Amino acid sequence: MSLDRSPSPHRSGGWSSPGLTSPFEETNGHSRSQNPSPGKRNGYGQLNGGAQPGVTWGSAKAKSARVNGYPSYQPQNQGFFGRHYRRLSESLPHFAHGGQEDRYAEKEKLGRGRSGGWSGSSNSKMKWRELPRRVGLLISRRRKGVALVLLFLLGLMIWFQKPLQYLYRRTSFLGGGSKFVIILAANQGGGVMEWKGPREWAIERDSVKNKKKYVADWGYELDIVDMSTKKRYAHEWRESWEKVDVIRKAMTKYPDAEWFWWLDLNTFIMEPSYSLQSHIFSNLNAHTYRDINLYNPLHIQHPPNGTSGDANAPQYANYLDPETLSPVGDGKSTSINLIVPQDCGGFNLGSFFVRRSAWTDRLLDIWWDPVFYEQKHMEWEHKEQDALEYIYTNQPWIRSHTAFIPQRMVNAFPNGACGDDRKVPEGGGCKTLAAGGMEGTEWECGIQGIHYQESERDFVVNMAGCEWGRDCWGEMYNFRQLSGRLNRSRWERVKDWWGESEEAKTKAKEEARKRDEAKGKV
Amino acid sequence: MQFPYPRKTSSPNSPFPPSRSSYPRRRSLRTLAPYLLGGVALIWLIVHLLSRTSNTSTAINFRPPGTPEVVIVTTLDPSLSPTYRANLITNRRDYAARHGYTAFFPNTTDYDLMPHIPDSWSTIPALRHAMTLFPHTPWLFYLTSTALIMNPALPLSTQVLDPKVLEAKMITDRPVVPPDSVIKTFSHLRPERVDLILTQDKEGLAGGSLLVRSGEWAKFFLDAWYDPLYRSYNFQKAEGHALEHIVQWHGTILAKLALVPQRTLNSYTRETGATGTEDRYQEGDFIANFHGCQRDTSRNCEEEMGPLMIRWRELRDQERR
Repeated sequence: MSLDRSPSPHRSGGWSSPGLTSPFEETNGHSRSQNPSPGKRNGYGQLNGGAQPGVTWGSAKAKSARVNGYPSYQPQNQGFFGRHYRRLSESLPHFAHGGQEDRYAEKEKLGRGRSGGWSGSSNSKMKWRELPRRVGLLISRRRKGVALVLLFLLGLMIWFQKPLQYLYRRTSFLGGGSKFVIILAANQGGGVMEWKGPREWAIERDSVKNKKKYVADWGYELDIVDMSTKKRYAHEWRESWEKVDVIRKAMTKYPDAEWFWWLDLNTFIMEPSYSLQSHIFSNLNAHTYRDINLYNPLHIQHPPNGTSGDANAPQYANYLDPETLSPVGDGKSTSINLIVPQDCGGFNLGSFFVRRSAWTDRLLDIWWDPVFYEQKHMEWEHKEQDALEYIYTNQPWIRSHTAFIPQRMVNAFPNGACGDDRKVPEGGGCKTLAAGGMEGTEWECGIQGIHYQESERDFVVNMAGCEWGRDCWGEMYNFRQLSGRLNRSRWERVKDWWGESEEAKTKAKEEARKRDEAKGKV
Repeated sequence: MQFPYPRKTSSPNSPFPPSRSSYPRRRSLRTLAPYLLGGVALIWLIVHLLSRTSNTSTAINFRPPGTPEVVIVTTLDPSLSPTYRANLITNRRDYAARHGYTAFFPNTTDYDLMPHIPDSWSTIPALRHAMTLFPHTPWLFYLTSTALIMNPALPLSTQVLDPKVLEAKMITDRPVVPPDSVIKTFSHLRPERVDLILTQDKEGLAGGSLLVRSGEWAKFFLDAWYDPLYRSYNFQKAEGHALEHIVQWHGTILAKLALVPQRTLNSYTRETGATGTEDRYQEGDFIANFHGCQRDTSRNCEEEMGPLMIRWRELRDQERR
């Protein structure tokens, strides 16, 4: 121990002898903050006897120094705790056992009291260790403090509601948003084949913005892929099977995602408030159908017996296993790996889902084959879509893992694509039909439904085929406006209502004035 | 120890004033908490384990007792002479009976092939059919009708099926179609993941003797191989070329394929084309394949097989004695 100044006599007599004394805080310090009466203290000291190891000359002196108000001697360079001890201890809570601290001290020295940091030697390190416990005590004792902290947290939650909600919806084990990837095919056929005009740019901008907003709401991944015709494919047969490569690439890019949703550029998510989970995936079996016979515009034969369709077929025309022969596979939602909507002409790949699995890997692998292509490329007008229909029809292993989804759930068409809109029944819509089991081809209901229905608030609209003789940009614009109007907030509704009623009033006035004028003329 | 003053409370150590908290309840909670947590963890573990097993125990993994380990499939042409047919059947049945396997002999005309395609295509629906008939059997063994099992003492497990054996025998990084196909068998192949085992002859893949592991992959593989567009494509060697085609064009099939030395599964009795002498059948080999005797009109399978059939009977009778 080094001294900064020479030891000096104290005014109450005696010398401080720093070399001999135990350091200041070596006395039992946990009740320092108390201000006990000196009389009692003296009594204790006497009662406990001077021979007790804790009560040294130094400690007794320190105590008396404290009573006097001024420490007679402040040892320097004792570390942070030594220097700030008083300030710290003053800020600590006061405990109920005031005035009895010395008794505790004695008890603890005997090892009967609390264990750990409190017993025996209590140097500065021990004190630091018990700080968390003290904090715990403080919290449990001070309800007000807890309330304050909770209030603070609540404030934080309100303030950061959006990001927190996003985080929740995204986390795989909470909302599960990161399990879904939306693959948006931009720039289809662009590059070499077509020149983009302002309308095409506008369509792309709107479509991408729409998906970005949806993804930001629900915490999904969005993968915008450039589908422009590339040299890589232009010289190859594989042109237009890029879908396969793109899905594969997305699967490696998002290794934690489970479902991949392919969306063409000409689609618009009309109801951004629907999550994929609640709309489809939390009850996959109820929202999809496995049996192709329920709605079969391609007239695919199921079960897939033989291929020649011969009447006097050989003995084992049907050699397949029961699961493959079953129209619904094994019937479990876990075995669904591909979800495709069917329009009036068969499968529609404008909006479909694939799931990461070994099965999907095989499907993507077999989807394009040079021998198939060589024989069929003249016939397959819709290329990969026809190829999928072909392998679904001819390779039985596909069927037990494929499910279909009603077109209007994920891929509703506008009027004009695939025939005319058949409408839903007035008042109550499709629900009135489903109750009576009257789902037919008469209305746009159930799995037969193809066209977008405003009253049913369909999820996604796909302006399929608009580039052939229809106005893509016009359709996109109208649907965007409609979506915006359908999903107005309450305040916007009120505003719009006010505006409309004002307009109506002015109109009425104008008409009245005209009528008056007319009368006047007469 | 005596205190100068009586204690104020019965438990001075308690940081909680007794009036404010239900101290005993807290105490009991604190002592019970580890047990409660432990119990919950145990239940979770059990549920977790059960769900795991129920997920993985598909129809393939669950095997009722008495399920044969391997199904030997041989498609027979109905025009074969009855004795030849009977010989082939006894040859396979005898081998199957020794090792607890089973054998399945459909006719080549039993399946609804397309018109004007070779009957040899019936191999594939026959395998798929065997999978339907024996859904729990893990392996299918296709053996062409031009082959004989000459060393029935060898079980398939020690011959190729055991992963350790397979690991030692499989040929990695070899062109699938010799001599210079750019597609080579995988160099990092895990024997447990192999689902298709066959051999190569000098012309290409030798489909006369092959092993397929039953399951989802087998359904995919067989259905893809049997695709009508391959059947109608007029491959020169019919299903043999179709097999070479899908192995080379589809990575999910190549990844499951293991090539083994020809004599482990498919020794040829004669040099066909450029087959080397070291791959020819020698006494003690598992299989003797009279490759090409059916296709080649100048050869007669039954006649060719005669000597070896007699030899096989001798060996069998020796063992019986």
